Amino acid sequence: MKPRTWFLLPARTVMLLLFAVPMLIVAAYSLLTRGAYGGQGAPWTLANYARLLDPLYLEILLKSFWIAALATALCLLLGFPLALFIARARTRKTLWLALVTLPFWTSFLVRTYAWMFLLRDTGLINTILLGLGLISEPLPLLYNDAAVVLGLVYGYLPFTVLPIYAVLDRIGPELLEAAEDLGATPAQVVRRIVLPLARPGLLAGAVLVFVPCLGAYLTPDLMGGGKSILIGNVIQNQFTNARDWPFGAALSAVLMVIVMGLLLLVRRKTSEHGGLP
Amino acid sequence: MRRRYFLPLLGGAAASCRRSARRLYVYNWSEYVAPETIPGFEREFHAEVRYAEFESNEELLAKVFAGNSGWDVVFPSHYFIPPMVENGLLAPLDHARLPNLANLALASPPWDPRLAHCAPYMIGAAGILYNPKLMAEPASWNALWDPAVKGRITMLDDPADTLGAALKRASRSLNSTRPAELAHARDELIRQKPLVRAYLNAEARDQVMAGDLMAAHLWTTTSLQAIAEAEHLRFLYPREGFAEYCDCAVILRECRNPELAHDFVNYLLRPEVAARIAQHTATATANAAARRLLPPELRESEALYPSPETAARGEYFATLPAAAQQLRDRVWTEVKAA
Repeated sequence: MKPRTWFLLPARTVMLLLFAVPMLIVAAYSLLTRGAYGGQGAPWTLANYARLLDPLYLEILLKSFWIAALATALCLLLGFPLALFIARARTRKTLWLALVTLPFWTSFLVRTYAWMFLLRDTGLINTILLGLGLISEPLPLLYNDAAVVLGLVYGYLPFTVLPIYAVLDRIGPELLEAAEDLGATPAQVVRRIVLPLARPGLLAGAVLVFVPCLGAYLTPDLMGGGKSILIGNVIQNQFTNARDWPFGAALSAVLMVIVMGLLLLVRRKTSEHGGLP
Repeated sequence: MRRRYFLPLLGGAAASCRRSARRLYVYNWSEYVAPETIPGFEREFHAEVRYAEFESNEELLAKVFAGNSGWDVVFPSHYFIPPMVENGLLAPLDHARLPNLANLALASPPWDPRLAHCAPYMIGAAGILYNPKLMAEPASWNALWDPAVKGRITMLDDPADTLGAALKRASRSLNSTRPAELAHARDELIRQKPLVRAYLNAEARDQVMAGDLMAAHLWTTTSLQAIAEAEHLRFLYPREGFAEYCDCAVILRECRNPELAHDFVNYLLRPEVAARIAQHTATATANAAARRLLPPELRESEALYPSPETAARGEYFATLPAAAQQLRDRVWTEVKAA
């Protein structure tokens, strides 16, 4: 074998063991029959996939797409100006970047609970608003779809800021100066120079947010109070309460195929425009 | 939970220095023994207990159903005992080694009438925890369907319990597998959904205590924790009936030291040991002799030990066939998606 092959062996092994094998296990489970009390076994069947055609699950899938898309759009909307600010900052760039990544130092679960403490009836926000006399009844801030989206946007915002920042940071100031010299207003500079150049970062950020949001189950459960169900919750429930691993595996497999299809689409789109970073 | 998990391990490490080869692997629900329960057994029986905790039956089953789990004594809920027996996972109990079985109040439970494989440990149930300052006594499940409670109640985020409540409200069995009855329960839960603030388990406790909620569909133990902190709260079992479950000690067939495992189960069945556990966890013990040793406020608690009239309205969850489980899961998903 060529030395190149040897050098690639560790990476290939990791990819195989940590990515390909688990996916194959999921695929295999999705074709098995559920045991009477959980577990799975023979015979091989496509019944789990047939169950997916139930409009109930399609409806939940659609809703999950809608919530994930909304969260992604909001993340981009908030993440782009923030990334632009950091990229253009003359000083303290490292500090701003550190602040963006700071939330990762604590667990996502703890941070979600912190939001619940802020939003609940006796939480900080309602207490202040009640204290100021602006409202007479606590606002129902928690346990609805808006709270779920808020939780997702909060959780995944850094994933849009960082790739967008990476792209914006590489845009030389001379480009922007040239645009201004030629008479472009600041808005025109952003729209005609910065945004097109930031496209790969925006796309990478969108993918990094959309994919985990699509499979999220913790946030809908905690912030949504279990009142709305996303596809991630259905899958989780199959592996826990319902003890139907094959059906859960089939749901996961379909979700993975959809996500992969979307990624391929994005890739094709971006390679027409110069590729992902 | 972490601390509890760790201390016995440290104790175990010390014991192994003294060359005690007798080792027992015990896997129990979190917060389900008194602090001195395990060290007491280790001292008296010169054995080392490796003790770990789980949070759900699924966690336990996932490990045990594969076989070779490494555990000796585990504590499944009662409705998993028939399938565990059927799958040959459990060792039969040797009654000659378990004289303390005589202390049990549940001497002939429906899931194992002759206690061939399990020793009932703790009993739990689900009812309504409510705030009498905010609402009248919810004597019936209908109280949780009353528009007056809109946004101020929670239901359990557990399909068996919450479908069970809707079925009981319609005077049906908790364990109904009839499509028409389940469809009715589903429609009623969907009708109730706008009134429900959220589907919550233990988290509902703090919200009832804070006065955010008028009432919560909740388990006994969680409710008693709330009442211990906020004495004005009340717990009751609605008149149409309620769900009960019983966590049991079982010895796995793979157990390497059945003699020691029997000693351990028998030790847990001692009145004074079981009473300490019941007192520490504020949970209803299945041990009648232990109940007599409890302080009066626990011993006479109507929530923990309902009067015979109330107890007669309780129904144990049953082990359901696969098709029924699938149907119920779909119904629950429909409620959640509505």
